[in-house]
Amino acid sequence: MLLNPATANQRRPGFLGWLLMTPMVLWLVAFVVVPTAILLVYSFCQRDELGQVVYHFSWENYRRIFIDSDTGHFGTVYWTITLRSIIYATFTTGACLLLGYPVAWFIGRAPERRRNLLLTLVMVPFWTSFLVRTYAWIIILSTDGLLNSFLQYTHLISEPFEMLYTPGAVVLGLIYNYLPFFILPVYGSIEKLDGSLIEASFDLGAGPLRTFQRVILPLTWPGIVAGILIVFIPAIGMFAITQLMGGGIKPTIGEVIQNQFLQARDWPFGAALGMTLMILFAAVYWFTARRQQAV
Amino acid sequence: MHHPRMSSAAPARPRFRLPSGMRLINTLCSGWTALIFVFLYLPILLLVAYSFNASDLAVVWAGFTFDWYAKLWHNGPLIDALENSLIIASITTLLSVLLGTSGAWLLHRYRFPMLKTLTTLVFVPMVIPEIIMGVSLLIFFTVLADPLNNLLAHFTDSEFGLGFATVIIAHTTFCFPFVLVAVQARLADVDPFLEEAALDLGATPFKAFLLVMVPFLLPAIVSGALMAFTLSMDEYIVTLFTTGPESQTLTLKVFGMAKKGLDPSLNAISTVFILATVILVVLAEMVRKINR
Amino acid sequence: MKLIRLLLACAFVGFLAAPLHAASRKKAGLNLFCWSEYVPQEVIDGFTKETGIKVSVENYASNEEMLAKLLAGGAHYDLIQPSEYTTEALIKAGKLEELNLANIPNIKNLAPEFTKLPHDPEGKYSVPWMAGSVGIVVNTAKVKTPVKGYGDLFDGTHKKRIVVLNDNREIVSWALSFLDHSVNDITPETLEQCKPVLEKWLPQVKVYDSDSPKTELLNGDVDLGIVWSGEAAILFKKNKKFQYLLPSEHAHRFIDSLAIPKGATNKENAEKFINYILRPEVSVKISEAFPYTNPNAEARKLLTKAQLANPASYPPGDPKLETFSDIGKMAKDIDKLVTDLKGQ
Repeated sequence: MLLNPATANQRRPGFLGWLLMTPMVLWLVAFVVVPTAILLVYSFCQRDELGQVVYHFSWENYRRIFIDSDTGHFGTVYWTITLRSIIYATFTTGACLLLGYPVAWFIGRAPERRRNLLLTLVMVPFWTSFLVRTYAWIIILSTDGLLNSFLQYTHLISEPFEMLYTPGAVVLGLIYNYLPFFILPVYGSIEKLDGSLIEASFDLGAGPLRTFQRVILPLTWPGIVAGILIVFIPAIGMFAITQLMGGGIKPTIGEVIQNQFLQARDWPFGAALGMTLMILFAAVYWFTARRQQAV
Repeated sequence: MHHPRMSSAAPARPRFRLPSGMRLINTLCSGWTALIFVFLYLPILLLVAYSFNASDLAVVWAGFTFDWYAKLWHNGPLIDALENSLIIASITTLLSVLLGTSGAWLLHRYRFPMLKTLTTLVFVPMVIPEIIMGVSLLIFFTVLADPLNNLLAHFTDSEFGLGFATVIIAHTTFCFPFVLVAVQARLADVDPFLEEAALDLGATPFKAFLLVMVPFLLPAIVSGALMAFTLSMDEYIVTLFTTGPESQTLTLKVFGMAKKGLDPSLNAISTVFILATVILVVLAEMVRKINR
Repeated sequence: MKLIRLLLACAFVGFLAAPLHAASRKKAGLNLFCWSEYVPQEVIDGFTKETGIKVSVENYASNEEMLAKLLAGGAHYDLIQPSEYTTEALIKAGKLEELNLANIPNIKNLAPEFTKLPHDPEGKYSVPWMAGSVGIVVNTAKVKTPVKGYGDLFDGTHKKRIVVLNDNREIVSWALSFLDHSVNDITPETLEQCKPVLEKWLPQVKVYDSDSPKTELLNGDVDLGIVWSGEAAILFKKNKKFQYLLPSEHAHRFIDSLAIPKGATNKENAEKFINYILRPEVSVKISEAFPYTNPNAEARKLLTKAQLANPASYPPGDPKLETFSDIGKMAKDIDKLVTDLKGQ
């Protein structure tokens, strides 16, 4: 369990503490609480003919999310869709962890003057436009695309290999877009790692694996958790990549919510779906946070 | 006495011994990083190559040309859009860093009574689907616009409407939690007596924060800032709903162009931007070397 | 540290630049809210040059995005570009200004079949901008068997070689056409009938793409598709092997129009703009940029032979075309049906 010596030094906020906190609290209240409240209200409403909101309280939207209208049982297509989104996000996060940690390590242990340069270089590809990047991948992976042409040219395969519009392509796209967002927070933790601790571990006879498990991992754990958070959660709601690289065959929950606001123009139902998702996450976060605090 | 081993000749270690654990790890990591960089830059290289594509559809190659760069010069709206994106992203990053760093530090330092509620609230913008955030902020701004304008009419001529301010507010709202989470991770095991020491040595709390805490947090702040900047540059949906006609960003333009077909002028402007960034960073490095 | 200083410097510069920038832009005389890439820049520039009215442009990528922003208030638009069913809904809800046709004398240039349209029977609220259809594109180099309609397309021989629009209403309308209903005959009963048809069709689709279905066709990832006629026209221009045809069952014709939202501040400027684009020589420029069906009869006389011969822009024969009418709440049920089928 993570020891938190810092809490020993925590104190109740005095006047200054509250004063300094005010900007953030105000910001949160104005731009997070109030809009969320508006949506909460919407989620209990219905739409009218034009697609505007009718303020008539009803549980209908939530009922539709949880209970299948045909069979009357628990479990609807929205659960399947959400589960699929979560599975994609899990694979993505796992891959980012494996692929990104060594990179964060390298940058974190690099000579100081090079670190910022390397970080910026990691980020620069993502300052191009998202669509243009993704189309570049489409050019690479498509049936008549570069990778297939290359593989056929070198006679590694005889027929083009269908890479695009598969779940694999979706995960690849997701990994590509989220990898830097994993590397960056982990770097923050690795950078402050004290080299002498690692040396001490070696001096005491531990091999690299042991050192990693017992020294490095626990010390960089907060960074890893931050990275997981930053990748996993947004990946669940991401749909642009699944549409472009997955062909939109299996919709994700992000796409379904988007459709409610755009195609179906059923804002209340979209709000209900969004609320459900948010409450789900907030609840998970709340409970896991409690476990840490309880140390 | 001249001991043979003390000479500066080859070390006494036998040559077939494996490098020590740390060096092995570091070598492997550097190789791995190189591979990852290839992965990250592969589409970018393609993107740059296709900026010289003579076809107007991004996916079909039809010959080499500099035309798109030439046309870029005259493509006012596209350059305006890039400018807008940069302005919005820069200010968003600044605000996100301020809010995120101070927020993380305050949450770490003080035991607020509603700590859990606060941290969960901070977490919400990361979780919320973009379209919901966009729509809810649009409604919020709309509802706010009339009373605010009535108030403003007493003082100035300008009006509150959808535009730069609203986009920046929207972007900052979902960007600052990323900074906060990154800084929090670094704060997790910080030596609690770092600041105490500074205070003992006579610094004011503010100076202690600025001269001790901030440098310590800097790598995490830099991480967060880079994330915030990237998120803001790439944001589509939220921008769509909170923007006005004056603040069209590059991303909005690009998504709009998808219907007609992404033509290589987008590749060209992306290439120019990357080039400019790399040059800037290299310049910064050179200036730094001179300073030292 | 350097990077921080650099970013701060950028932000500082930006901070100064933004208000200066905003101040330097004059208040626009016309707020145009239109589809991305549907109004050529040279048309806007030409208008400004002639009248001195500055045009500020905001874009959207779907009717629903436009409606969302319009209905929420917030921005004051003078001109919008709704599709036919959206126009109908807006008229029903009283959200459009009546046009002062005295300010739009060029309206006589419109072809007669575009003057009294089902969504705006008296032509009082909207002026057609461009029309198009949704039909079938076939890569004749890869597909040798004849494909005449939805039945042929989905007969099972082209499994997983098809791209279709990612628009739930469109998808349902094809099933309805196949069952010989009107595309607007959307009731719970007809939707029930569509279900087995779509259950058979949807697994054969490889990609859903409303934004740029031409990409998949050009890539060779698919050989056939149901796409917007504009996409098909671009494909045909690129390579004549991409043939476009309207399905033998009914097909959807869409008509995008210009309209003025209620409460617009620059109504007269808006009407001037409408009048301007109805000029044949200006309308031709629009056709050049976007090869849809031009409703302007005078402009058509100025088009090149190649443009008129493009089957996607001007489909030959007398096809059974229907426009979408507003279906209000049924949009919800459509979405549910398709999501259910896709999500399994």
